[in-house]
Amino acid sequence: MHSAKSDTGLKRLHNEDRFVADPPLGLYVVCDGMGGGNAGEIASALAVEAIHAHLAEAAKNPDLPLIGPSDATGSAPANRLASAIRAANDVVHRESGSRLDYAGMGTTVVAALLHEEVLAIAHVGDSRLYLFRDGTIQALTTDHSWVAEQILKGVMTEEEAEQSARRNIVTRALGVESRVDVDLTEIPVRSGDMLLLCSDGLTRGVRPIDILQILSGSENLPTMSDRLIAMANDAGGDDNTTVVIVALRDELQAGLWERLRKRFVA
Amino acid sequence: MPETLPQSAKLVVKLLGQDSRHIELTHETVTIGRKADNTLAIEDPAVSGHHARIVKVQAVFFLEDLKSTNGTAINGRTITRHQLRDADVITIGQHRLVFQENATANTAAPSPFVDLDRTTVLRGTDRTLDGPTLTAKVLILAGKTDRLEYSLAKQVNVIGSQDGAVIRLTGWFAPKSAATIARRSHSYSICPSQGAKSLLVNGTDVVGQQDLKDGDQIEVAGVKMTFCLLSETKNTSR
Repeated sequence: MHSAKSDTGLKRLHNEDRFVADPPLGLYVVCDGMGGGNAGEIASALAVEAIHAHLAEAAKNPDLPLIGPSDATGSAPANRLASAIRAANDVVHRESGSRLDYAGMGTTVVAALLHEEVLAIAHVGDSRLYLFRDGTIQALTTDHSWVAEQILKGVMTEEEAEQSARRNIVTRALGVESRVDVDLTEIPVRSGDMLLLCSDGLTRGVRPIDILQILSGSENLPTMSDRLIAMANDAGGDDNTTVVIVALRDELQAGLWERLRKRFVA
Repeated sequence: MPETLPQSAKLVVKLLGQDSRHIELTHETVTIGRKADNTLAIEDPAVSGHHARIVKVQAVFFLEDLKSTNGTAINGRTITRHQLRDADVITIGQHRLVFQENATANTAAPSPFVDLDRTTVLRGTDRTLDGPTLTAKVLILAGKTDRLEYSLAKQVNVIGSQDGAVIRLTGWFAPKSAATIARRSHSYSICPSQGAKSLLVNGTDVVGQQDLKDGDQIEVAGVKMTFCLLSETKNTSR
């Protein structure tokens, strides 16, 4: 079960965020585009499309060649996810060279691929994935941003980072160069877990503790998404906000049914 | 917006047989070529009419070759499109152009940008976050598996009969996934899979997840194994 919503916010004319949620594939993606004019929208739209297409094709044809190096610490699906992101990088990068007003466009990406009971997470930039489990919330991605690097180096506190005028600067993005370095993580997940994929429109203004409060509530997923977006807009609505919430009860069960069905049909 | 410094960059132009001069890169686009309508016109038959251009996108400059006959190189490498960084040397024929960004030493502080709310990219910052790397393995003591020793090299190591399982169970009724051993930053933990009958660590039932210590005895799906944590090795700078 999932709910995905995207909102332009209060200050922007365009929504440069794009997302995809495909439960049969187990794929959930959020991209936050950047670039002049409408280039940001183009970049994020191209990226989600390319990632989705690569994984859909790989589901039909497991022999589809992997793009880029295979990571020995990752499973086959995790490597496939990274491959999809590299494919998207190529598409966005090529397109950025095709028109003057697309030059330099790019996008962040956070993508989650669920296979059996393992979740693969790939990301580039400052869109995040949070895992909600047993009443706690944990970010499973580390922003590729200038302020995040300052925090890791210990020269800036979280509070200073929130106030920094440079908090919008990402140190990695999809499509800006011909190659992209993808962060790949895998964790076992279980029934009852919830995932939240979001663009920085949410995390700029809304603290994790407030997100936790919403996710711990008893409301249905669409209401939770609405509340999160409303909180981002209450905090200023400076940027586009996208949230994808996935509740891992039905997803894992669907996987089980799928397995049973296959066993009996085959 | 607290900062009002203009984002500036310049091009130090060293044309063959001429004194060097510089051009401020203020325009959105600077064109380079033999013809007079270029921002920087170079009278040299080796230079194409419209040879290359420098495009500014928000705070970032890109050099693009305009399908010139003799090509455009950055730091000795031929390019079609390249994001310019401070001190990049552009070579066109025998002429040299050096790109200089408003001195912001060692990428510590990125230059201010036009629209601070917009997401902007900055590259070339260091990422030296490699911590110590842990390695671990399990030794099989009893039960049906395809090997007797497994190294836990993956982030998520599945114990089961499924394709891609690290610890491959080969018993007839072995579940596709019985449990998983996951590596998270500096530790390993184990958790039972959905529908797994039981997972014991040192004889105690594991319900959620449990951190593993060197020497822990794991028992799942009819297989007994010992978890071994190997010595940490510092992953020094690559």
